[in-house]
Amino acid sequence: MFSKGLFQSQAIRALHSTSKRSLTIPFLSTLPQNPGGVKGDVNDACLPPPSPDRLHGSVPWDVERVSAVALIPLVGSALASGGDVSVVADSILATVLLGHVYVGFQSCIIDYIPTRVYGKNHNYAMYLLTLGSLFAGVGIYKLETEENGLTGVVQKLWTASNHSEEKK
Amino acid sequence: MMMSGLLKKNVGRAVFRRGLASEVAPAAPKMKTFKIYRWSPDKPAEKPKLQEFQVDLNNCGPMILDALLKIKDEQDATLTLRRSCREGICGSCAMNIGGRNTLACLCKIDPDTSKQTKIYPLPHMYIVKDLVPDLTQFYQQYKSVQPYLQRKSVPEDGKENLQSIADRKKLDGLYECILCACCSTACPSYWWNQEQYLGPAVLMQAYRWLVDSRDQASTMRKEMLQNSMSLYRCHTIMNCTRTCPKGLNPGKAIAEIKKALATD
Amino acid sequence: MLSLGLNKPLMWAKPLKMMTRRMVSTAKTTVSEQESILVAQRKNRPVSPHLTIYQPQLTWYLSSLHRISGVVLGLGFFTATIAFGVSTVFGLGLTTNNLAKWYHEKVPTWMDWTAKASGAYLLTFHFGNGIRHLIWDTGRALSLKGVYTTGYAVLAVMVIAGTSILTW
Repeated sequence: MFSKGLFQSQAIRALHSTSKRSLTIPFLSTLPQNPGGVKGDVNDACLPPPSPDRLHGSVPWDVERVSAVALIPLVGSALASGGDVSVVADSILATVLLGHVYVGFQSCIIDYIPTRVYGKNHNYAMYLLTLGSLFAGVGIYKLETEENGLTGVVQKLWTASNHSEEKK
Repeated sequence: MMMSGLLKKNVGRAVFRRGLASEVAPAAPKMKTFKIYRWSPDKPAEKPKLQEFQVDLNNCGPMILDALLKIKDEQDATLTLRRSCREGICGSCAMNIGGRNTLACLCKIDPDTSKQTKIYPLPHMYIVKDLVPDLTQFYQQYKSVQPYLQRKSVPEDGKENLQSIADRKKLDGLYECILCACCSTACPSYWWNQEQYLGPAVLMQAYRWLVDSRDQASTMRKEMLQNSMSLYRCHTIMNCTRTCPKGLNPGKAIAEIKKALATD
Repeated sequence: MLSLGLNKPLMWAKPLKMMTRRMVSTAKTTVSEQESILVAQRKNRPVSPHLTIYQPQLTWYLSSLHRISGVVLGLGFFTATIAFGVSTVFGLGLTTNNLAKWYHEKVPTWMDWTAKASGAYLLTFHFGNGIRHLIWDTGRALSLKGVYTTGYAVLAVMVIAGTSILTW
């Protein structure tokens, strides 16, 4: 009996190594899924869509587009001038970029750590992102008020090592 | 009497023709190797594997479906696949051929016999057997967009809901979809979130009812998509348009829905 | 003359016999039993191969690159700004000059060049492909031809602009 059970569990493991639902993140706990990814059959009542919520629908999409459009001249001018931009332009660039990166990462979390599979871990990932963005906001404030701004950091890092190249 | 005479003549001609054909030296066999994904629910512990089959292209029709049916007829009757119309209108024989999703009946066999052709079922689907994926989810999703005309009022003359030629034209390139699921299963977003993201095929049908001038439920249809999963998992990857065996453009339809929702 | 043998009883008897044999071998199941058999089958079903077998196409390769470049650049942005934010909140005294000094002394040249090359190429790609996406979002260039021409154009921009930033 015991050996049969062992054999069966091995057989199941062998199967599951090939029939993994999709690529899941190994260190995050997952929720049990519907077998075959479906509930009921073709003729059963269809999946009810979640209640409409613009904040999770069109709003993030709009933010992504608006920030992207705004970034074209901001990043473009920063690149063209080699990083010599005014404090105002740099502040706008850093803030809009923060928004753009935030929405982008949010989209990645929804894609790869969905609530359906990871449950609460989805929310934790979102909290982590928000916390990081708050710190990033403080950092941007510091950079704009006391330092040479975001482009200043990039410029310094980029050229500092060029100097070291020249020295060598 | 005349009938039998005619019959004799025809039979005689047929025999004659046959005689001629047999005199021609048989052409050298063009053996093409097909590697086909196999998995049987009768042996669930066995891993899915690729099985090799050789087909002589001289005795085979030009399409992948011909080769598959030839294999099923002559070599391995347990090879399982869906097929029906053999002319690209039913969408049953959708599968992944040479790495891209298409209909086996519309896909020509590559005559280069030095190359193997690999045939898989539609990607990232639960497999019922061999090349047959479970499409239950896909059909449920199609049902969920309520793909039928919804109106509050009936036409005054009690006959037809009339539509201008320009409005009718908006449905071209949308209504031709045969729901073969090639595009949806080519979409990486659909691979990762197919339980919630509707996928290109279903979203294109959602758009087909959204733009129909006769339909009066467009507010409700838009509301259904206002969430993070149903529509907005589309990142305009465009694998859908690239793979559509009917030459349709689901990617464009989804972009139009997003445009409609952006200012909604 | 054209007898099909329909009047011969043997021809009819055969299918009838087959039918009776079939009826013996079938088992009756209730709807709920059928459902449980179906669910048991669904539990066994493997997921067909996807990412590893799908044909390399410009469409999804560029899309993956867009996401990867976005995540890499976003992480770079977050590392810098969060570092300044944390330093401000906890008073660690990080300044642009400190950072540049550390970078210039501790980071090996190969790592510096890897960072710069990936930064330059990924930024130009994400910038160019972002514009491509914005054009798509207006509904333009969304045909197969448009997708491919704009795709190759973005790759060309990446190579030219990325190289020019690197050799600046």
